[in-house]
Amino acid sequence: MKVLATYSIKGGVGKTTSAVNLAYEAAGNGARVLVWDLDPQGAATFFFRVKPKLKGGTERLVSGKGALAAHVRATDLPGLHVVPADFSLRHLDLHLDGRKRPTERLASLLDAVADSYDVAILDCPPSISLASESVFGATHALLVPVIPTTLSSRTLGQLAGFLNRNPDSPGLLPYFSMVDRRKRLHRELVDSLRAEWPDLLTTVISSASIIERMGPERAPVATFAPSTPAARAFRALWAEVAVRLWA
Amino acid sequence: MASPLYSRLDMDADGVLAALAQGGFENGPPSAMRRTLLDTFDGRLNAAGLRLEFQEAPGHELVLTGGGPASAHIPASSPPRFGSDLPVGPLRARLTPLLDVRALRPVVSLGTRRRSAVQRDKLGKAVASVVVHDRLVLNGELGGDDRGLDPSWVAEVDELAGYPKAAKRARALLGSLGLHELDRDLMTLAAAGAGVELGGHSGSPTVALDRREPAFEAFRRVLANLAGEVDANYEGTIGNVDPEFLHDFRVAVRRTRSVLAQGKGVLPTEVRGRFREEFGWLGAATGPARDLDVYLIEWDSYVAPLEPDVAAALKSLFEHVDHRRLNEHVALAMLLQSRRYRNLMGAWHDWLAAPAGEQDLGVDAPAPIGEVAARRIGGANDRLVARGRKIGPDTPAEELHELRKAAKKLRYLLECFGAVLPSGERKAFVQRLKALQDNLGEHQDTEVHTAHLRAMSHEMIELGAGAETLVAMGQLAGEFERRRIAARSEFAERFAAYDTAKTRRTLDALLRSAAVTAP
Repeated sequence: MKVLATYSIKGGVGKTTSAVNLAYEAAGNGARVLVWDLDPQGAATFFFRVKPKLKGGTERLVSGKGALAAHVRATDLPGLHVVPADFSLRHLDLHLDGRKRPTERLASLLDAVADSYDVAILDCPPSISLASESVFGATHALLVPVIPTTLSSRTLGQLAGFLNRNPDSPGLLPYFSMVDRRKRLHRELVDSLRAEWPDLLTTVISSASIIERMGPERAPVATFAPSTPAARAFRALWAEVAVRLWA
Repeated sequence: MASPLYSRLDMDADGVLAALAQGGFENGPPSAMRRTLLDTFDGRLNAAGLRLEFQEAPGHELVLTGGGPASAHIPASSPPRFGSDLPVGPLRARLTPLLDVRALRPVVSLGTRRRSAVQRDKLGKAVASVVVHDRLVLNGELGGDDRGLDPSWVAEVDELAGYPKAAKRARALLGSLGLHELDRDLMTLAAAGAGVELGGHSGSPTVALDRREPAFEAFRRVLANLAGEVDANYEGTIGNVDPEFLHDFRVAVRRTRSVLAQGKGVLPTEVRGRFREEFGWLGAATGPARDLDVYLIEWDSYVAPLEPDVAAALKSLFEHVDHRRLNEHVALAMLLQSRRYRNLMGAWHDWLAAPAGEQDLGVDAPAPIGEVAARRIGGANDRLVARGRKIGPDTPAEELHELRKAAKKLRYLLECFGAVLPSGERKAFVQRLKALQDNLGEHQDTEVHTAHLRAMSHEMIELGAGAETLVAMGQLAGEFERRRIAARSEFAERFAAYDTAKTRRTLDALLRSAAVTAP
């Protein structure tokens, strides 16, 4: 099982929409996919129409008394399952801190379902904390949405610097998100950041109102607008990621 | 993996859907669907607990179930033949190690009209799903006439992960309608209706034997089983469906010849002589195509030690080997459709079915097979050990090849008459023998490949191959030579590990067990 996480220190950069749409594309292309919603806001859970409820709460899940598989819910999309979030996840750091080897805890929970899924996508809250370190310990690669702003390069640099301290850190798969080609500054920054970060994936996710439609539709873009540029972009992004993971 | 099915003879599918609607389920529109189950000839996916289906409904996709609660889906315009036909990704990564070089083929095909009924919670999320299949039609384009299935409709409860209570309620609702649960899933039902075995072809050389039964009958049963193997792999070999058909065909032929050789004193002399010669001809005829199959199967491992640019320079050699391989398969297919082959197999089946009373039997024919097999196995091992002990550092390579043949003869006996030996001890002994065989096989294969390369270098020059290709071929030959020398230098150690008092004791114990013929 390949474990990915949509992760950014910054909020509002398109992590959850990426997690949901990439999970849909992965499931449509031969993967058995598990999305683990780690964000107490539960937006991924919402998009999949799953009840935001973790039986026994985060404490039970992290304690190991309840296996991760017991929290898995089938979505309405073939091959795509989700571990829903609830508000108790706001205490994830606290519960991890009370465990032995907290940074290995999420990895050990995922190990138990490793034979049942080909891909796990962890949708993470925006922060850098003990929970983030546990995510880093569990993942093969971090999918990092980058908005073309002057601060983005700095934030990406901070994350890369943090990960470089540990040789076992996951790989970084940054990609441009919420790009508005009408803005000159965005166009310029896309070019300059690409020069600065040659590992940026080539696919660009543009800012699009159809992505905002995911809220009322409560579904990935490709299910209700499959021919739109946004749906095609997520398809292309997953194709790029899949080549990195399996080629 | 498979969802439970429900049906009731005196009720129709419409009645069930109406009852589900009354129970709060939303009924979806009907759709025509064809499901074709795919597996290898030897049922590798079934053995791994997996079901791969090509579904046409009306979009086309491959669906893999089993191995966890989630199914895997991928668009596909047609069923793949090999794992390598799938796009790079998780499905290919899962299937390729299981399929290896084997081709997928349709096992059974079922046409259905599919209507789903879904129960949703307050969020609009599906919590239970029942799929009703009717208008069930078997086979379709797989050959033979379309025909219906019994029962003519089924309801399938799709168990959604995380919603066991809703599934339980759906099952209870179907139960309240008088539907009974069937003991199989839809494709198992279809396979049973089509008379198809989901487990695929087993191909074991070991047949059930009673140690006390007369050796003649036991030998004939072993040979009849091998004849069945030859027949089972015949079409796939002629069609060059995948390399395993020829491999299994060839092994069955060679085992047949070996068992005939070991049948001295058991089988009629004339029969032994005639069919040994004919199966010798057939075995030799399968060699060139199989050698070239191996070349391509092992290609990646052959070129792996070479620098990437050297490996790239061998592309035209690969294409030439493939071209030659296809020509050899065509020649073999023609030979297998010849009068000589038909006469051989016709006469062979006739003899296998002929009454024992008409046979000019050998002196050991009435002896218990346990005793005879023990003597033959012991003798084969003695010959192997005596031959091996004569091999020193300067012994010509031909002697190692002869030793490899002797090891194969012993292996075939252990496999074909394995039923008279205790299973666990036999497998442990075969492992010891196999370690020696692997070494001898590596030595001979690398030598044969070097000879092939030498021969092909002339062909490649005639084909206008550039200097880069010829230099790369030289490097590949050097790699084969390195492996051959390594195998040769390892031989003494491998043989010494086999030629031990422990091996002898293990074999003696095995043979004593085989020779015990008291009830």
